[in-house]
Amino acid sequence: MRNSILFVPLLVGFVLAHLLLRVGLGVGDAAPDLLTVSLLLSARQVRSGQAAGLGFFLGLLEDGFSILAFGANTLTLVVLALLASRTRDLLVSETPGFLLAYLTVGVWVRGVLHWIVTAADLRTRAIPALLIEAPVVAIYSASTVVLLLVILRVVQWDPQR
Amino acid sequence: MDADGSAARLRRDRFWGFFWFVAALVLTILPMQVQQGVSSVLRATVLAPFLWTQESLQRARLRTEEVDDLRAQLDEAMARLVGLAGLRLENEELRATLGLQARLPFPYVGASAVRPGTRGSDSLLLLDVGAQHGVSVGDPVISADGLLGVIREVGPVNSLALDWTHPDFAVSVITETSGVGGIVEAWRGSFREEDRLFLKGIAYNEPLSAGDLLVTSGLGAYFPRGIPVGWVDSEAGSEAGWQRSFWVRPVVPVERVTHVLVLRGSIRLEDVDLTPAWSGAEWDFPDAPEADTLTDSNALVDTEGSE
Repeated sequence: MRNSILFVPLLVGFVLAHLLLRVGLGVGDAAPDLLTVSLLLSARQVRSGQAAGLGFFLGLLEDGFSILAFGANTLTLVVLALLASRTRDLLVSETPGFLLAYLTVGVWVRGVLHWIVTAADLRTRAIPALLIEAPVVAIYSASTVVLLLVILRVVQWDPQR
Repeated sequence: MDADGSAARLRRDRFWGFFWFVAALVLTILPMQVQQGVSSVLRATVLAPFLWTQESLQRARLRTEEVDDLRAQLDEAMARLVGLAGLRLENEELRATLGLQARLPFPYVGASAVRPGTRGSDSLLLLDVGAQHGVSVGDPVISADGLLGVIREVGPVNSLALDWTHPDFAVSVITETSGVGGIVEAWRGSFREEDRLFLKGIAYNEPLSAGDLLVTSGLGAYFPRGIPVGWVDSEAGSEAGWQRSFWVRPVVPVERVTHVLVLRGSIRLEDVDLTPAWSGAEWDFPDAPEADTLTDSNALVDTEGSE
């Protein structure tokens, strides 16, 4: 996937699309979490230190709208980037099925991490937040992006694999 | 040589990973003023185009929806103006004679409200007015229905407000009819759609009925008296057998708010009463029980206090 000419523009595009959809067009949570997806895809392609730096920058962008939970997004995405960069050594595959599973788990873990680092009085209850909302967001975001990647032929759909 | 290089890269990588982790950790424990400074800089620079897009879209949508209405109002206003021109001149002469300035009943500024829409920004509204418009921290934010929230952070031309769903939101209220007072706080449901308000500190012998309108009491530093907050819905429980608490249905549905008024700092006077501003409103209390009164010890009592 890294060799695809679309890879870097696509990741930058995901970040811009995330902010445009959620902030610019006011779609909010109805838009997929493309920021996290972009980080998860990037973290498998660069070194862990660089991934953490990217996570810091992207998290800071989201924290621009946080007042009482400032830094929660930044810390979450740095930890997520470090974890995601480790998966490169453990899981080697770039099939759509693997990407779907990887992104689903990754976005869900992002929800869990954010819930953990947010102060107790600012977060919703654990079960609805972690077992209902976060998985729905994760499946929605992952399936949207994988579908897009398959359509753009950044990843190849091969039923034999 | 390769092994040495690889080990050095690994060490460097670990160092940078640790560095960014510590930097992120430091961000969370910075003083709030510094955090607000950082977020303000981000909103004024990198995020500014996206905020501008949302504000522009919202303005365009509002204009589209209101253009027909405004045209009709303009026609009507023009017709009236012709007839009132003489009166207006006379009025201005009288005001000048008495040394008064033409002014509104209370100082306020209108603003468009947009939702940032990112994680962690729940309960926040971004308003397109700021210090240059006379807005300051703590100013009440209202809509046509009643109290929406309070200004939390002010920039030169925009500001951030908390709405009533925020855990930090609290306001002293009284009932419009019987004058029973208490504190209303935000209560977060399992899902955001379940968010509502919670009235606590009501003594057992104080009369309170479902459907009673709660307005701000004027006590405290932020809210003047008389702004509608919500309707008493049902009893939530009792504390130590001498206090009761109630669920409150808010008058302002936060998800539908797009345009607000900010009451500017000078309104914070104990003797200011904004009740007349809403006196002409027709309240619609959905699913409110009828006036019949429950009589057991855990139930609501009527406004006359008969149990």
